Amino acid sequence: MGSVTVKGLVKQYSDVPALKGVDLNIREGEFYALLGPSGCGKTTTMRCIAGFEDITEGDIYIGEQRVNDVAANRRNCGMVFQSYALFPHYNVFENVAYSLTVRDLYRGSYGKRVKSFARLMSRKLGKPPKELYQKVMDALQTVELDHLAERGVGELSGGQQQRVALARALVMEPAVLLMDEPLSNLDKKLRNTMRTTIRNIQQEIGITTIFVTHDQEEAMSMADRIAVMKDGEIVQQATPTELYGKPLTPFVADFVGSSNLYDATVIGERQVKINDQFVVHTNGVTASNEAKVLIRPEGIKIIRERHESTNVIEGQVTMSTYFGPNIRYDVNVGTANVVVEQEFEPGIPVYDQGDHLFLHIPEERVLLL
Amino acid sequence: MKEKPKKPTRFQRLRNWDSLKLLKYAVIGFFALFLMIPLLSVFIVSFTGEPVNLFGSFVNPEILSTNIERLSNASFEHYANLFSSGSVYLSALNNSLLLSILVSVIVIVMCLPIAYAFARTAMPFKKTLAALCTMPIIVPTFISAAGFIIMFGRTGWVTHVFNTMLGTEGAIFNVYSMLGIILVQVFFFFPFALWPMVAAFKIADLSVEEASRNLGAKSWSTMVFVTLPLALPGMISSALLIFTVSFSDFGTPIILAPDGLNLIVVQAYREISGFFNWAGASILTVIMVIVAAIFFWLQRLATKGKDYGTVSGKPKKVKLNAKKAVTLPLFTYTSLVVLLPVLTVFSVFIQSIATTWGRDLLPRGFTLDHYATIFTRSTDNIMNSIILASGALVISVIVATLVSYFVVRQNATKLDFIASIPLVVPGIALGIAFIQTFNTAPLQLTGTAFLLIVAYAIRRMPYMIRSTMGSMMAIRSDIEEASVNLGASRLLTLTTIVGPLMLPGIVAGSILVFVTVIKETSVTILLAPSEWAPMSLMVFQNILRGQMYTASAMAILIIGVVLILQLVANRLTKNSLY
Repeated sequence: MGSVTVKGLVKQYSDVPALKGVDLNIREGEFYALLGPSGCGKTTTMRCIAGFEDITEGDIYIGEQRVNDVAANRRNCGMVFQSYALFPHYNVFENVAYSLTVRDLYRGSYGKRVKSFARLMSRKLGKPPKELYQKVMDALQTVELDHLAERGVGELSGGQQQRVALARALVMEPAVLLMDEPLSNLDKKLRNTMRTTIRNIQQEIGITTIFVTHDQEEAMSMADRIAVMKDGEIVQQATPTELYGKPLTPFVADFVGSSNLYDATVIGERQVKINDQFVVHTNGVTASNEAKVLIRPEGIKIIRERHESTNVIEGQVTMSTYFGPNIRYDVNVGTANVVVEQEFEPGIPVYDQGDHLFLHIPEERVLLL
Repeated sequence: MKEKPKKPTRFQRLRNWDSLKLLKYAVIGFFALFLMIPLLSVFIVSFTGEPVNLFGSFVNPEILSTNIERLSNASFEHYANLFSSGSVYLSALNNSLLLSILVSVIVIVMCLPIAYAFARTAMPFKKTLAALCTMPIIVPTFISAAGFIIMFGRTGWVTHVFNTMLGTEGAIFNVYSMLGIILVQVFFFFPFALWPMVAAFKIADLSVEEASRNLGAKSWSTMVFVTLPLALPGMISSALLIFTVSFSDFGTPIILAPDGLNLIVVQAYREISGFFNWAGASILTVIMVIVAAIFFWLQRLATKGKDYGTVSGKPKKVKLNAKKAVTLPLFTYTSLVVLLPVLTVFSVFIQSIATTWGRDLLPRGFTLDHYATIFTRSTDNIMNSIILASGALVISVIVATLVSYFVVRQNATKLDFIASIPLVVPGIALGIAFIQTFNTAPLQLTGTAFLLIVAYAIRRMPYMIRSTMGSMMAIRSDIEEASVNLGASRLLTLTTIVGPLMLPGIVAGSILVFVTVIKETSVTILLAPSEWAPMSLMVFQNILRGQMYTASAMAILIIGVVLILQLVANRLTKNSLY
């Protein structure tokens, strides 16, 4: 297994910069997510690590080894592609066996080389050696597909194909596992099970994993640490909780979870005026007079009467949306729109459009960015 | 991970990454050796008037100095002679241009109603007629020409029927004439224009036509003022295509051109094989290539930005015209047009099973002796055809697969361009270029089967590449990346993943190569050594010797083989995996 270190990675496409100096420090055994909107450079970063892109500047280390000049087929990174990229002319077993057979072809004795090549050309030209067979079946067992070994990959469902791709990447015992939006082609329910499956397998093997996604929920629920990327740069590297609780920029705040973001003026010690509308107290400090304020919707409490002296504001519901586990209210406070999310429990009061209510925003939930 | 990956040595890196680069150079070298240099040396010879041994210049300083001396004598003299009035070459060029222009104009006019019938009407027996309207292009032209002789020659059965009915004497028209050549080419090349025109009619925006009709225009005026102009680019492109095909056709003129009629392909053939006139043959070759290139370029220009295959959006449902008053005349007309090629092939067939036939509607008797003859005495020719075609096939498969790979994945546009050059080199021109380039040491290949095989492969390369390129583009690049990611080098990926996935395209393409090589005449006549004479050469020689019966039997065999293989190829491309 290995850590992955990326230092000052720059990738220039003719005159457009795709990556403008990316630094990553991924620890051994870590599940690391690269998160960002499309075009932010997350996939390019991964492709540079895998060796599919020539890098313009910077260094990439896998473990202790600098891999800048190591060919893609010698980097020992297992990759799971967005479209899975299974070989359509091979069955499940042959897909998974590919890397091991190729290894035999390059490293074995001459007899072994010839046999391996023959097997790559057609399954009719020989049986796999016992050891290889066992390894492949073990890998298939890990993803619970050993019973489908002889199936053609075209006959599998999306989730099964995904698991074949995973087994194929894992069987060669790579130093790093790279996954490029592996869940984006699955339906929502399957996506949730696959999240757990992948995470469990990763934990079991303890393999360093880099995971590219544009879905913040996916990143938050699976990764040990997340790097949020924007325009070819890393905006913030942190654990999921840190990222959610202490986003460094409005971009991160907005990208990670839903949020109320306002322009605010600092008007006194730990007091800010939001949108020139209302004043709230905060725990945060900022050097300047102007600030961005972030209030997470679930941090706001709805109260019936104004019993707290500070941080209580009055508003009118403009829209209420019911999501099952929670209810979302859009509340008008002066000219500001405040989104409030409340867990739904039987018996709590439910407000309709036009209702007046009071909102209490605890000081610690008012974040200054 | 059990073992640490060793840092690859320089040699290993070379082996893994440069094997593909090496192959790329090999492919470029192949085209340089067997396409660019022959064409270049023909070009040089057209100025010097004497053979130039380009390869010799590299190895032998003496040859180099001779060549330099000859080069210094280079002049436009030969070209000046060409354009002086009364020159044989000039009349050959004029006649060829006239022939091709007439053929393309007649074909377009003739095809207009048929194309409309296929695209826009519910003509009865559409499928059968469609098959019959495709058939003519699989018949080698020298066989069609022979069929015309069987029908319209002085002892032909059509001539006989015509004479008995009208009580006249002699042929209806002289088959051995410009008219005969024009007729054969028109009736056997029209499918090349017909199907693109059908596509053009189908694609022309129907809503515009509907608008025209809504505005009160009659069907006829809609047809003339709206539909036709919309289909015009397709028609022009078809006409230009027919021009190129007719201009490079060798089979028809070599059989039917009378002594007095100079055509450029025939003239070039005579210059090289009869008089060994290097200068004349070279100039004619250069002119042929230039003319073909110009028309090819014009054709590309006409179809530029009009990719009929990939029109986006939903195909609009065409409302087919089912009025009997329209479909019945169109059906009759189409049937009449295909009747001639069908009868021609049928006549060749009857000839092949006739004891004696002439000056009568039917032969005296029927026999299978001619087939027995070809299967006993001409097995060599059949074997030769198979060996030569297989050789050409192997070369084209390898080169075309590599070229498609480099073009699609590495964006090798120059290679793409070079590989498409054979499209504008008529067979006779390539043959002449080969003879001039490879007739002396150090690369004396003239008269070997190898050179013939290479010539076949080069000629058919663009078609093979088109077929393999299609399959190549259907393979997503991440499948290759997956293979590399799993430890395979690019070369191993090409052999184990890309190759097998391209197989349908490769098979279809190679069948087509096989088919065309079996039909081929121009390069064959120039380059085939006697011990390697293939079926087509045997047919050709027998026709010239007047042995029509065995020639016909062999011709039917060729048509049969071609037809079967063509059907297999069509099947494969339609039922391909992707």
